Amino acid sequence: MTTEVTQLTYDELAALMKKGAGVTVEPSDLESRADAPFADFGLDSLGLLGIVGELENRHGRALPTDAERCKSPRAFLDLVNGTLTTGA
Amino acid sequence: MSGPRTRQTAVTGIGVVAPGGLHADTYWKNVKDGTSVLDRVTREGCEHLPLRVAGEVRGFDPSALIEETFLVQTDKFTHFALAAADAALTDAGLSKSAWEEAPYSVGVVTAAGSGGGEFGQRELQKLWGQGSRFVGPYQSIAWFYAASTGQISIRKGFKGPCSVVASDEAGGLDAVAHAARAVHRGTDVIVVGAAEAPLAPYSGVCQLGYAELSTVEDPARAYRPFTSAACGFVPAEGGAVLVVEDLERARRRDVAVRATVAGHASTFTGASRWDRSREGLAHAIRGALDEAGCAPEEIDVVFADAMGVPEADRAEALALADALGRHGTRVPVTAPKAGIGRSYCGAPLLDIVAAVQAMEHGLIPPTPGVFDICHDIDLVTGTARPAEPRTALVLSRGLMGSNAALILRRGPGSAAR
Repeated sequence: MTTEVTQLTYDELAALMKKGAGVTVEPSDLESRADAPFADFGLDSLGLLGIVGELENRHGRALPTDAERCKSPRAFLDLVNGTLTTGA
Repeated sequence: MSGPRTRQTAVTGIGVVAPGGLHADTYWKNVKDGTSVLDRVTREGCEHLPLRVAGEVRGFDPSALIEETFLVQTDKFTHFALAAADAALTDAGLSKSAWEEAPYSVGVVTAAGSGGGEFGQRELQKLWGQGSRFVGPYQSIAWFYAASTGQISIRKGFKGPCSVVASDEAGGLDAVAHAARAVHRGTDVIVVGAAEAPLAPYSGVCQLGYAELSTVEDPARAYRPFTSAACGFVPAEGGAVLVVEDLERARRRDVAVRATVAGHASTFTGASRWDRSREGLAHAIRGALDEAGCAPEEIDVVFADAMGVPEADRAEALALADALGRHGTRVPVTAPKAGIGRSYCGAPLLDIVAAVQAMEHGLIPPTPGVFDICHDIDLVTGTARPAEPRTALVLSRGLMGSNAALILRRGPGSAAR
């Protein structure tokens, strides 16, 4: 548990996808296809919801409800990192 | 569902995940040899429970069979079903290319008695231990009765009619009848089955309230249906999945027809009212005979429900006499589950598999561990009995009061196996 403001990286997102949804994806692949839909990587909506919950627990704060509706890795990272930095 | 059938339903594929048998062939070997695989419960967190003996599925490695994306969002009962469905499809000679062009031609039916107890326990422990924000979203689907139906269809890309039958243990037979009706109505193929995973701490505790549960410590004495020493039933995990399809379609694609589903009926007589199950079971048997257009004398073997409770065993023996007349005391009866345990809805599916295999191999398997029968039935004990069964009657009852009967006929393709 930490309330420190950190940036979510593609590395961390890939690790969360593996842990929460069993999706194996290379961080570099995630980054190079950052605008591809999550579905293309095999992540479904419940999987993304689980990642949102994990991040909220980790950072001890809520993410916007839009977070679980993000369609792509880039959109998700932008939203999450925007929230974590501005809301500090 | 009476009336002439324009489409007959063939069983063309079988997949098994059972105690002592992770494959249909190893399952049959145990069944025909009358080998009991009942053993002490070894599951973590269950050691202190008064449930001592069960039929555990051992050596099952889901990660070797199922993609991680499916594993993380499913309970063990679904892992069993996914693995058994794969085996059944392979046995039926069906691969993705067979349904890719026509995904709506394949549907799924499963029966479930309790859903995903182990997964549910894990998430509920997070709920009360850490808080609601720590419960994973897959809890919403993993412990649901319908999870296995949904996951089989999603994983394979089936888009045909899907359903789950939640009608107690006998629902395993009802599911097969439901699948036959779907074929009758025009769906080419139905993947149908049931598998359960009740051997985990929370699930184990839930079962302790059943008066019929055996708490005997000795695996050799814990489940002895139809004897004066009957002391309840032993639970098990696992089950089986079948591929059923239109008989003409099966013939066209030249696949071995392992059996046909001839008739079914089910009744309800109330939870643990075993005296009343006599009438309910007899009524179900008559209904199944009627639908199959089958005379009582045509039944060559009965796979009994065999609850292992004196009153229930008596009711079943009398129901056979009520429905089959004098033939009821002469027809060979067997209960392989005395050596496997009852995997709730999975149990009648495993009995269907054994019935198909018995007809294919010309052997009526024995009832393991049972010798002194105290009812007027011809229970096969000791070793398998050579015979040429062409028609099998499978019976099932549930603790909540469901009774069902299903009649299978030997497949025209059986001799080739």
